[in-house]
Amino acid sequence: MLVLRIFALAALLSLQFACSRNQEMKTLYAERCLACHGASGRGDGPIASSLPVPVPDFRLTVERKSVRAIRKVIVDGKGIMPAYGPALSRLEVQDMIRAVRVVSEEGRPVEWWEKIGPLLYAHCSLPWQFGDDEEEPQRGAGP
Amino acid sequence: MQQRGLGIVLATVILAALVPAREIRAASHQSESHPQAQESGRSQVHLPIADFSLTDQTGRPFRFQELRGKVVLVTFIYTTCSDVCPLLTSRMVLVQRDLKGTERSSVYLLGITTDPEIDRPQILKSYAGRYGVDFSNWSFLTGSPGELAPVWKSFRVQVQRKARGLVNHTPLTALLDKAGIMRFAYFGTSPDHRSMLRDLRSLLPSS
Repeated sequence: MLVLRIFALAALLSLQFACSRNQEMKTLYAERCLACHGASGRGDGPIASSLPVPVPDFRLTVERKSVRAIRKVIVDGKGIMPAYGPALSRLEVQDMIRAVRVVSEEGRPVEWWEKIGPLLYAHCSLPWQFGDDEEEPQRGAGP
Repeated sequence: MQQRGLGIVLATVILAALVPAREIRAASHQSESHPQAQESGRSQVHLPIADFSLTDQTGRPFRFQELRGKVVLVTFIYTTCSDVCPLLTSRMVLVQRDLKGTERSSVYLLGITTDPEIDRPQILKSYAGRYGVDFSNWSFLTGSPGELAPVWKSFRVQVQRKARGLVNHTPLTALLDKAGIMRFAYFGTSPDHRSMLRDLRSLLPSS
C-alpha cells in the first residue's frame, strides 16, 4: 500500500512539474518555431513562404519520428533550420520536443496513448529510446 | 483501497498528458507576434567603415582591411535566429550563386554575428554548411563582445540580447565598394538579391 501511495505522490509531483513547464513550452514555440512552422505546425508560419525550401508539416514528420530523432534535429539543426543545441538547456530541448509533439497532433485523429506520449517521452529519459531516425532530404527546414 | 489508489494514479497521468496539450494548442494559435517577411528598403549611402579584425569560421584571424580592392556584401546574423537571419542568409546565398565566374574574385561576402555568446567559429561553420555556402569568397565572422561592438556601431547596427540565443538586431545587409565605403544599405528581412546583384555590379571595375 505504501508503495502505491509513493507512486501516486510521484505521479502528482510529475503533474505539477509538467504543468509548470507549460509557459516555457509556449514561449519556446512562439520564439523559436512559430515563424517558420506556424501556429498549427503546418509549415505556414509568417516567413515560410519567403524561405528557399518548403517547411515541413509537423503532422507528417514529427508524428513519424522518434523522440531521439526530433531531439537531434532541434539540437543539431537541419537544412536551414537553426541548431538550438548551443542555446537551449536540456530541459528546454525537452520542452520543445513536447511542444512540437503536441502541435503535430493538431487536426489528425490522435490515439489515447499519443496524448500520454508527449509527457512520458519528453520528460523522462527512457533507456529504451534507441533511434529509428529516418532521414529526410538534407535541405528541408525543421523536424 | 488498492483500486482507488490505482485510479488516482491513472487519472493523474492522463491529466498530466492532456492538460498541457490543450493549453499549448490554445497558446500557439495566439502567438502571432512574428513579423511577416517584408520587402527591404534600399538606400544609397556614403558611410566609411572603420577597419576591424575578427575571427572567421575556421578560427583564423580575419582583417577587414585585407578586402580592399573588392566589393563586399555584408550581413548581420546569428545562428540560432529563427526569423530574420534565415531570410538574410538565403538571399546572400542567391547572390553568391548568381555571381559570374569572373566576378567571384572581385566580390567578397561576409556574415557577421550579432551573438558572440553562442556563435563560436565551429558553430558558424556548421551554420554556413547547412546553407551550402561556398567559402571561397564568403567568411562568417565572430569575436568577443568587445571586438564586435565597434563593428556593429560602425555599420549602425543595433544589437540587443533578449535571452541566451535570442537577439534583436537591425536587419541590415550592406554593400561596400572597393575602398571599404558603404554605398548601399538594404534594411529588412528580404532584400531582393537581383537588386543587390545589380548594385554590386555597378561597383565592379568593368562597370
